[in-house]
Amino acid sequence: MTAQEAALSRQAIEALQPIHHPPTSFFRRYIWSLDHKVIAKQYLWAGLLFLLVGGTLAMMIRWQWAFPGQPVPILGPTVLRASGGVIGPALYMQIFTMHGLIMIFFAITPILIGAFGNFTIPLLIGARDMAFPWLNALSFWVFALSQLLVIGAFFGDLGAAGAGWTTYPPLATNIGTPGSGQTLMVAAVFVTGVASIMGGINYVTTVIRLRAPGMTYMRMPLTVWGQFLTAILNVLFVPVLGSAALLLLMDRLLGTQFFIAGAAAVKGGGDPILFQHLFWIFGHPEVYILILPAWGIVADLLAFFSRKPANWYKGTVLAMSAVTVLSAVVYGHHMFQTGMNPLLGQGFTTLTLIISIPAEVLFLNWLRTIYKGSVRLTVPMLFALGMVFVFGFGGLTGLYLGAAAPDIYLHDTMFVVGHFHFTMAAASFLASFAAIYFWYPKMFGRLMNTRLGKAHFWISVVGITLVFGGQLLVGYAGQNRRLWNPFEYDLFKPLQPLNRWTSYAGFALFFGQLLFIWNFFASFRGEKAPANPWQLGTLEWSVASPPPMHNYDAIPIVHRGPHELSDPALMAKLGRDWVGQAEEVPPDAPGATQAAARGAT
Amino acid sequence: MASTLPLLLASLGGPFDAIHLPPDASESGWRIDDMIQSTTVFVSILFVLMVIWMVWSVVKHGPMHQALFDHGADSKSWRWTALVAALIFVVVDGDLLYHSTTFMHGVFFDFAGAEKKPGAVRVEINAHQWAWNARYAGPDGKFNTPDDIVVLNELVVPQGAPVIFQVTSTDVIHGFNVPSMRMKVDAIPGTVTRMWFQPKDTGVFEIICAQHCGANHYKMRGTVTVLPRAEFDRWARVTSVNAARAYDPKDVEAHWGWDWAEHSRLE
Repeated sequence: MTAQEAALSRQAIEALQPIHHPPTSFFRRYIWSLDHKVIAKQYLWAGLLFLLVGGTLAMMIRWQWAFPGQPVPILGPTVLRASGGVIGPALYMQIFTMHGLIMIFFAITPILIGAFGNFTIPLLIGARDMAFPWLNALSFWVFALSQLLVIGAFFGDLGAAGAGWTTYPPLATNIGTPGSGQTLMVAAVFVTGVASIMGGINYVTTVIRLRAPGMTYMRMPLTVWGQFLTAILNVLFVPVLGSAALLLLMDRLLGTQFFIAGAAAVKGGGDPILFQHLFWIFGHPEVYILILPAWGIVADLLAFFSRKPANWYKGTVLAMSAVTVLSAVVYGHHMFQTGMNPLLGQGFTTLTLIISIPAEVLFLNWLRTIYKGSVRLTVPMLFALGMVFVFGFGGLTGLYLGAAAPDIYLHDTMFVVGHFHFTMAAASFLASFAAIYFWYPKMFGRLMNTRLGKAHFWISVVGITLVFGGQLLVGYAGQNRRLWNPFEYDLFKPLQPLNRWTSYAGFALFFGQLLFIWNFFASFRGEKAPANPWQLGTLEWSVASPPPMHNYDAIPIVHRGPHELSDPALMAKLGRDWVGQAEEVPPDAPGATQAAARGAT
Repeated sequence: MASTLPLLLASLGGPFDAIHLPPDASESGWRIDDMIQSTTVFVSILFVLMVIWMVWSVVKHGPMHQALFDHGADSKSWRWTALVAALIFVVVDGDLLYHSTTFMHGVFFDFAGAEKKPGAVRVEINAHQWAWNARYAGPDGKFNTPDDIVVLNELVVPQGAPVIFQVTSTDVIHGFNVPSMRMKVDAIPGTVTRMWFQPKDTGVFEIICAQHCGANHYKMRGTVTVLPRAEFDRWARVTSVNAARAYDPKDVEAHWGWDWAEHSRLE
């Protein structure tokens, strides 16, 4: 792009995004704010709060597996008073159902996509805000409404939802779970889906329309690629979930029988398997919805803190795009046991295993990125490396489940639970923490405590490996999931000690998060953050911490990719290993190129 | 080699003693076990290599090292990455895909072969919250007739002959799951699903509901007792006579069962 073209292009994009004065009223600044950075924080608070709720529910499940039917400490005499301080079978199924739904839709989604999608996309592509700021605010408040429905579900007659996070009918209809808690949760999933679609439309449009001049697709930070692909999946597949939820609500409330068959069916009824098709057409892309942003963030951080360009950037982008496409055509592997046609099972097995090719490309690129670098073990880098480690577990254990034959034995065991916790829970949360530690200075203008951060990292990564590793092991031995007391079965009785040890690791993991909570809040009074604490060249580090409401006084003109680190020619010229994406580097003085070339060898 | 990891864990003792696949009592379960074990070997190797690479990269090239300015995007470099990915795919996924496919076609879906074998036993399962109703056709070979053998939760099958199940449910989805036979299929209201296995060993093996089916899912337990053929035949004879004696034509709730052939379309 010539200087003249750049100037014209900047003029056009400036006209699209005029600078507004920051609002002064409390309501417009903190409640109905149109600023993507404020909305990001709203999502972050909402997500972290529900993460705590979901984590507490997880501890109750772990208590039950360690000491089935015994009074729960701390929570027993307080919140479980109505049930005599113990977890009964009916309460237990509500606990694991709410744990799954809350973690997936109301904790990971708002943190990884709501908070960090909102915060990073406009800043990292050089925009002043999202394409539709008003829709953005609406998206958050619709999401908040869905969280309100979740809270309401806890107070439903007959308790909260209990049909499992997958909400399979007929159990999820009035036949199995007639309480209002289940109805409220199905409604909450529908409403949160509406919020996700609004967010998705906004993210996709922003990335397509508001990239700064020179910010080509192949110069976008991989974080933005991850969010972009996730937003595309959200827009395409959340509507399918919405339709499934709506039909299920009609079965529950209006007496229709879309998903009811068997003794309760009138005039032939419907088909319970239809729901599973609708659910998993959404549900399989959903696991990539939750992991693509994590992949993007980690790919960037590994390059940043190895002080190296990301290895084969285009390959990573292609691999992430390939996974995005494939994610839509593999969902049948969740339904191998439903009497699926052999040819269909064969097709789904093959397609599922093909996903390993792009996944391997991603891994190899990450591993080659950190090779021969200048690795700085900062807290975000540790979390990024930890994410690669736990995703190794998660990805590799997926192989067993993707093939129809071993899945016969492993389906519905704790092996599946361990596998998806390593991918969706462990990898997504370690990436979320990496993102929090990395962008906290930009979000809040303060530095977090490094020592506490490192302690938090070690407790988290060791705890996660033990807890979800324990799940894989008992699943390998056959232990089925969702059992109130697995030790009712002779086959699983010998697994009680391992379950108990796994629970101890779970408790340590949970209480270890206090380090994070303390660090997060105490750092509000921490040292003031400079504009560029990590010494990096992506656009967000070229503005103040925190950035002004309009982000950029003048829309930047981008000259290079996001990870041009340790370029010998530029190091000779600038005296540092990083260069801004929009930085103007003075033209070569005569003879400088040769000197730089000599410096490189 | 294939069972290195479980052995290693077992040697640690304590809570790890129990970490092994349940004893396999079926003719073809070993094929699934082999797939699981060989995949475990492959992924363990890949995982260990990955961790060694990560630790080495971090330890060897710390902040004092001058980072190599390399985009890994020249044709030699990216081809290397793509080639390694393809190689892992062909070896690891290829092995799994081949064995899984031959198992599914040669065993799991070979209902035609199982039905043809002499002495094959046919059982209809009707699951409900929270028990397994099972029905054998009895001497007349027809289901839902007065001579049917009807049992609750406690199935009896012969050693050394295929046992073929047609499975459904009256209320919600259950999972008919016999881990010791390495077989499992969903019990779905409104649909008949199928599975079969051939017991190799005699003994009592647990049926464990695999699909969340409500509050008492955890105790939807049944058993499959495998008897030597002669003992099984004796059991079948006696039970059928008793069933015919106890048959109550007015108890319509107890009369269920379907035409076997209708649901044994053969792929």
